[in-house]
Amino acid sequence: MQADLEVRLTHDGSRWIAHHPAFEARGNTLLELDQDVTRCLLDRQLFQQNNQVMVFMAFDYTCIPTWIRQYAYHYFNRYIRLDLKSPTQEAQ
Amino acid sequence: MNRKWYSGMASTEDWWAVWLGLIMFLASVSSLWGWDLTGWMAKTSTWVWGKFSIETALKPSGKVALHPAMSLLVTYLVFTTLTCIAAWAMKLNVKRFFAAWTMLFALTWVVWIIGQEAHFKVPVHEFTKHDLSWGLSLGGGFSYLLALVIGLIIGNFFKGTAAFLSEAAKPEWFIKTAIVFLGIKIGVMSMEAAGFVQELVLTGIAATFVAYMLFWPIVYTLARKGFKLSREASAVLSSGISICGVSAAIATAGAIRARPVIPVVVSILVVIFAMFELIILPGFYAAVAPSQPIVNGSALGLTVKTDGADAAAGAILDELMRANAQANGVVWKEGWILMASLTTKIWIDVFIGVWAFLLALVWVYKVERKPGQSRIGLSEIWHRFPKFVLGYLIVWFSYIALASSGPEIAKTLHTAATPVEGSMRTMMFMLTFLSIGTITDFSKLKGMGRLALLYAIALFGIIAPIAYGVAWIFHRGMMPPVL
Repeated sequence: MQADLEVRLTHDGSRWIAHHPAFEARGNTLLELDQDVTRCLLDRQLFQQNNQVMVFMAFDYTCIPTWIRQYAYHYFNRYIRLDLKSPTQEAQ
Repeated sequence: MNRKWYSGMASTEDWWAVWLGLIMFLASVSSLWGWDLTGWMAKTSTWVWGKFSIETALKPSGKVALHPAMSLLVTYLVFTTLTCIAAWAMKLNVKRFFAAWTMLFALTWVVWIIGQEAHFKVPVHEFTKHDLSWGLSLGGGFSYLLALVIGLIIGNFFKGTAAFLSEAAKPEWFIKTAIVFLGIKIGVMSMEAAGFVQELVLTGIAATFVAYMLFWPIVYTLARKGFKLSREASAVLSSGISICGVSAAIATAGAIRARPVIPVVVSILVVIFAMFELIILPGFYAAVAPSQPIVNGSALGLTVKTDGADAAAGAILDELMRANAQANGVVWKEGWILMASLTTKIWIDVFIGVWAFLLALVWVYKVERKPGQSRIGLSEIWHRFPKFVLGYLIVWFSYIALASSGPEIAKTLHTAATPVEGSMRTMMFMLTFLSIGTITDFSKLKGMGRLALLYAIALFGIIAPIAYGVAWIFHRGMMPPVL
């Protein structure tokens, strides 16, 4: 799958965080995180409005204790399609 | 982060088990060109109290003219170099790793040598050979048990030392490496008894299918209805208990996008309960069903979680059952009961990626349907595939291919490969026993009352009895070859 944007995904114990050189988005759930990523993309105008953006989120395994890595070293990666509509457009 | 298909090849224990296994297998293959690159490996030998000497307790595995102490030194240097390179590649603290590894290695060999003392080890019919008036006849299993006990003492009473050793105490890495070495042994077994190995593999697949389809839904229902756990926690715990322990818990949690704290807590439970399984089940099965060696081995593979604990339990069962049979005048070949345990477990491991993928599809598209749907990549299956299995299969089939090309080649290869599947593999088992004890801290069970209770009920009340029934259906009557 081709992605338009790649971010590093972590979890700080209470929130999911998407790290990108241009922004950092957060959310208590992945749905909230996706909404915050959309907001960040619109704020920083990395993509044009009304575009669909495929985001690749690669989970950073450093948030899992090192001793677990010997048993398993992959958590998950996800592709998410975001519709870049500003809140005002969405309200309409 | 696993972005590409080749991610982790240099930076994970799973892949390094493959590299270490293949390096040693290739070293044994080099014998076909007249080289002896494995004969330096040290091995222990039976000794009698009061007559100890380094020459009786230790020997080089091959025909190389090395003093036993020199053989042990070469063994240390070779494995220290390889594991430190791996530690560097895995971005561990190499200085700490080196210090911890050295202590672990020294402890392992001391315990291994002690465990070879004749009063502990030799069977009754060999008492006269060693001039003994009494003995416990525990076989090679005593070394394993001793390593486990020493590890548990360190892990629970000398926590500073356990923390120091933790940089190198990696039971899952050691056992995965040992399993790649075991590829040689199953290669030898396949040449000796192809029908038996084929039956073992096929019935192992069938038993694995039952494990996935039966255990998981039962435990999930118990967690949801009986213990009122959340869907997330129930799914992760069910996989941890029912399938293959920590790797299944992590794979399932990832598949359902659970918060990472959930699989971490479940993993702690899995590791601690694996110790109970390892201590209780081999002795129990050996005592209750001494005439069902392969059923017992397979039942362990279905019940004991984590590869390290399963292989360790299989090795103890192999030793206990053979010692028991030997006392009754039957001498079974070594390793076949262990192989029954491992074959079942390896199949369970292999399918975890597919299971997690299906679970992810169900979870994302059915359970938590959301707008702007995320997609599940097929690469998730590959990322969760246990890579050491590749090493095991490569070694297994390469051995058969090479050994089938002629009796002279087969004989040369077998001689050179014996130190790898023999003493190197046993050393890795010993390191596993010591490490698994060291990293098991029973005090971590505090505060996990409800989860621990569910785990105990599910394991001993559901998984173990059903697993034994399934193993009995598929493996009853199968016996290891007699010497």
